[in-house]
Amino acid sequence: MNRTLLEYTLRVRVPILIFVALASLTVTYYVSRPAREGIGYQPTQPIPFSHKLHAGLMKIDCAYCHIGVYRSRYAAIPAASTCMNCHTIAKKTSPYIIKLTKYYDESKPIPWKRVHRLPDYVYFSHSFHVNAGIKCQSCHGNVQDMAVVKQVSSFTMSACLDCHRNAPKRLSYIPNIKPGPTYCVACHR
Amino acid sequence: MADFNKEHLLKELPVIEQNETKGQHYWKSLKQFYNDPSSIEAKAHEFMEGVVDDFKLSSLTDMSRRKFLALLTASASFAAAGCSTYESKGEVIPYNKEPVGVIPGVPNYYASTCTGCSNACGILVTTREGRPIKINGNDEHPVNKGKICARGQASILNLYDPERLREPMKKDGSSFKNVSWQIADAAVISALRSAASGGKEIAVVMKTLNSPTAKKVFDDLAARYKTVKLYSYELFTDANRDSAWKKSYGRGKFPLIAWDKAKLIVSLESDFLGNEGNTVEQTRLYVSTRNNKELKNFSRLVVFEAGMSLTGMNADLRLRLAPELQYDLVMSLLNEFVVKRQTSRYALDRNVVNALQGYSIGKFAQTSGIDPKSIESIVSYMARYKNASIVYAGDRLPEQVHIAVNLLNEVLGSTALYRKDRLRAEMLPYSTKEEWEALVTRMNSGKVGVVVHCDSNPVYHLPSGYGYSSALQKVPTVVTLDQSASETSVVSQWVLPINHDLESWNDFKTRTGFYSLQQPVIYPLYVTRQKEAILLTWATGKESAYNDDLYHGYLMSRWEKEIYPSMKLAVGFKEFWYSALHDGIVNFDEKPESHDGFNAEAFVSTRSSMKAGGYTVALSESYFVGDGGFANNGWLQELPHPVTKVVWDNYAAVSPTTAKELNVDFNDLVEVEVRGNKLKLPTLVQPGMADKVVAIELGYGRTNAGTVGNDVGFNANVLQDANGSFTQWILPGAKVSKTGGTFELVATMEHHMIDDSLVKDMQFNRGIIREGTVEEYQSDPDFIQKEREDSKPTSIYKDFEYNGVKWAMAIDLNKCTGCSACVISCNVENNIPVVGKDQVKVSREMQWIRIDRYYSGTPVEPRISLQPMLCQQCDDAPCENVCPVAATSHSPDGLNMMVYNRCIGTRYCSNNCPFEVRRFNFFNFRHHYEDSYYLEQPAPMVSNPEVTVRTRGVMEKCTFCVQRLVQAKQDALQEGKEFTGSGVVVACQEACPANAITFGNANDPGSGVAKLREHELGYYVLEQLDTKPNVTYLAKLRNI
Repeated sequence: MNRTLLEYTLRVRVPILIFVALASLTVTYYVSRPAREGIGYQPTQPIPFSHKLHAGLMKIDCAYCHIGVYRSRYAAIPAASTCMNCHTIAKKTSPYIIKLTKYYDESKPIPWKRVHRLPDYVYFSHSFHVNAGIKCQSCHGNVQDMAVVKQVSSFTMSACLDCHRNAPKRLSYIPNIKPGPTYCVACHR
Repeated sequence: MADFNKEHLLKELPVIEQNETKGQHYWKSLKQFYNDPSSIEAKAHEFMEGVVDDFKLSSLTDMSRRKFLALLTASASFAAAGCSTYESKGEVIPYNKEPVGVIPGVPNYYASTCTGCSNACGILVTTREGRPIKINGNDEHPVNKGKICARGQASILNLYDPERLREPMKKDGSSFKNVSWQIADAAVISALRSAASGGKEIAVVMKTLNSPTAKKVFDDLAARYKTVKLYSYELFTDANRDSAWKKSYGRGKFPLIAWDKAKLIVSLESDFLGNEGNTVEQTRLYVSTRNNKELKNFSRLVVFEAGMSLTGMNADLRLRLAPELQYDLVMSLLNEFVVKRQTSRYALDRNVVNALQGYSIGKFAQTSGIDPKSIESIVSYMARYKNASIVYAGDRLPEQVHIAVNLLNEVLGSTALYRKDRLRAEMLPYSTKEEWEALVTRMNSGKVGVVVHCDSNPVYHLPSGYGYSSALQKVPTVVTLDQSASETSVVSQWVLPINHDLESWNDFKTRTGFYSLQQPVIYPLYVTRQKEAILLTWATGKESAYNDDLYHGYLMSRWEKEIYPSMKLAVGFKEFWYSALHDGIVNFDEKPESHDGFNAEAFVSTRSSMKAGGYTVALSESYFVGDGGFANNGWLQELPHPVTKVVWDNYAAVSPTTAKELNVDFNDLVEVEVRGNKLKLPTLVQPGMADKVVAIELGYGRTNAGTVGNDVGFNANVLQDANGSFTQWILPGAKVSKTGGTFELVATMEHHMIDDSLVKDMQFNRGIIREGTVEEYQSDPDFIQKEREDSKPTSIYKDFEYNGVKWAMAIDLNKCTGCSACVISCNVENNIPVVGKDQVKVSREMQWIRIDRYYSGTPVEPRISLQPMLCQQCDDAPCENVCPVAATSHSPDGLNMMVYNRCIGTRYCSNNCPFEVRRFNFFNFRHHYEDSYYLEQPAPMVSNPEVTVRTRGVMEKCTFCVQRLVQAKQDALQEGKEFTGSGVVVACQEACPANAITFGNANDPGSGVAKLREHELGYYVLEQLDTKPNVTYLAKLRNI
């Protein structure tokens, strides 16, 4: 059977090309998805504060520093004065604590790098979720084991909705938890 | 838009049957009344002319300085973005030292006092992360009781006004240069010293002084510099009423009125619901007599007035009367009761009887042209409601009218309504005409060494007849203390910036029996000082005496020494002081001064009838920009006038008949001349005005207010005349002439007209406004429900199921006076931008709630119906069905949600909304208005962080303050309570001085709103469309 070049192109080459293109798009989409959503983002902080040491080893309660977490929409990043509650005495000679003390004395805020971020039009409330019994770790991962904090889960709308729809499954450690609201103004206004 | 055809004015005025509430033909403007072609056309288009065709490419490509900088920044940031990692999420900046009591994201509330006007109402300021974002009334305050007017609410924008003065300035040639406080203080102190030692007067000019501690500062100043003299003024004062009271009763001040006990209120040229006295309190007390549950105590409001005022809009019976005939009216009524009916002991007083000779209601009806039947009915009401009626004459009427009114109230037994529990307090009486004239004479003859303008603007405010501004040039040292530049500051040598209310300490005493405290809620944004602290520094004679705590310490020590001991409390001073600051109010025992009996001699000796030829000019204060002090506040400039709905301007309002006589029409320029003072301004034809009267509002035409307020409107202050035959504000004998040329006034009047031309024959049955009379309601409580039955189609939709909370609102139209406090409250809460006059002209105003004003009857004697209109949150919402991207959809608690981040700006929803309550961002209005004026720091600080700031191309609308609803729900659930929806207050409801708005959970049978939804007077707007709105309106009852 004689195949013309055209026939060959149409029957074999084009489908293969389309398949390869689609397959690579699909693979790239899924492979790059976590990176796109910021999973694994682990910036270098101005002071290498270790959650592993403070929250893990010394078991300081999260809310000792993140004062808003039970009371406000924002968990809040602690003021330098909160650090100085201990570090006026503790480890005064460490170069990083000297750096911290300098920020504090000069009344300059510490420019921490933001790790987790929701868009401005999302009105997420920490206090509501935390008071419902949801553990910090359910969204932020095991921060108490991280020497340098990194983002471990996705903070997209589909990730929010996944948990809101399947709360009993996702948050099985809370007895009788009900699915969360899925209508727009619950988060957007 | 085509000019309003004059032939319509010349046409015979059609007469529509009065007293027929059913089937009224409501009209929103004269154009609509006469079926003007432009009006009919306007109805057919959603958007006005120019909305779609003014797209000028050049306006977009013009490279302004800001656009250039914006582009520069944008390209720089693009370049920078390329260098950094795409993952970067920026920085998160915490506090350095954690402030006590501040948790990011949680609001704090502080009690303070508003000084937007002389009423000094108690306020509760909401702050977020240390910055004030909302002003509400303080519940504990005995006068304003948790409510605050539109001006007070909008005053928060003045704090963040980018054009506030930031540093002291010294005049240097024709411009100003910044100097330090030390230099300014030293120079002023030495000027004060040399003036005092040289025997030259130091004139301190201020507006109302109502702080006892500030009074003490002035005393200290006068003690150090012996030649200090204090002057005070207000653009409009109740000085005539008070001086009449003093003449009638020997001493004291005109008492407060128990409006809530009145069954008949006769207002003579008084706008007590609009801008006279404490309107927040008066509105609350007045509407408490308009309760549809207590028909027996339902009051009757009769208004005799020339212009159409906010009070007149609400009248049951409104009679047009020229101001100079008010005296004859009172005398005729006196004649009726004293001479004819002899119902008073004054019938035996020969002098009084003689004085009343020659007046009679019959004669008055003839001269004034008022229907004798109306006057007779008022007389019969007065006779019926003895001891429960009040005749109240306006601020602007002359003394003899007030004295005659005092006698009339004595005769009618209305003195029973004079409140005995409290009296207005006074620290410093307003300066009289003679005092001003003497000051100007001394200034001209070089006998005044220093003039200090203490938060006042006399160059703009005082009648030009005084010659104050020219005399000021002869004064060697002129110092102005003000928050922003003014007409007075530009002619001063020294301009010292002062703190805003929200940055200040003070105490206020406006009435007997309580003090209202003011505390700062934010540290001064700039290098400003509190005005009392500046004066106190001068009073010590050393510029080094100043410190941040100077006046605070002074205030506390005065309280500790003078007030605290007299209160004999068990707690220490500090505890007392902190609890007083927490409450904002300190009550104490104080008996108001008593007064003597009525002195009939005063009445007999001051009588004189007033006659006038020509036109009468009636000046009044602007409802929203006040005396001009709020001119640089875009929210207030853009708030539609309660009656005319005009924004960004003042005008000469005349009656349709007078307009015909003058051959003028809307926007035609006229020249008004009173005793040599001239002003050219546009005309507005106002239905319901008295003929031969020109009503003009003051507070406009400022030249040095700032970017927003400069050259807005026309400065009618120049027409004031203290030597006029009547009063400073009502000027008979004026000349008015058409000058040719026009000036375009912009009103929201014809905007958002609810489309009724397609179903013209059905317009009576559209049921936008339903109303009746008290009598009708008494005889048939279901009359509204019977009307409603005609308009109930069957739905093709399945009913939405609401389990749990379902939000709903009810608005009692009996209570709404149209004061517009709700509109500003909504603006502040929901980050509504200022769009500017050019954008309002093409119907792009952004306010989420508007107050529709409908006329019915004839242009000569119109009746007005008001209706606050906001998103009706329909169950079967037409907007939701048409959104192609589901940016507006239905929530399980009954809201029509609006998701800005999803909206792509098709505007289908707005086209499909029968209530026309959706607003579209045709521009990024913050960017578009005045070259980004409200994006300049620190103006964006006023934004509510709980509400998204919308950008260009996004639709928006009222969402029942969803941020508050969600917060309340989360708070309840967080505390483990079941959420019932009780206790949630939305912004418009919070602000309404009349408590006309009820909000809550319709599914909770015990809630107020659920009951009102079942009320006999309840109805929905445009019910025949069956959109199932969730805003219930309670029909207005007129007590005719």
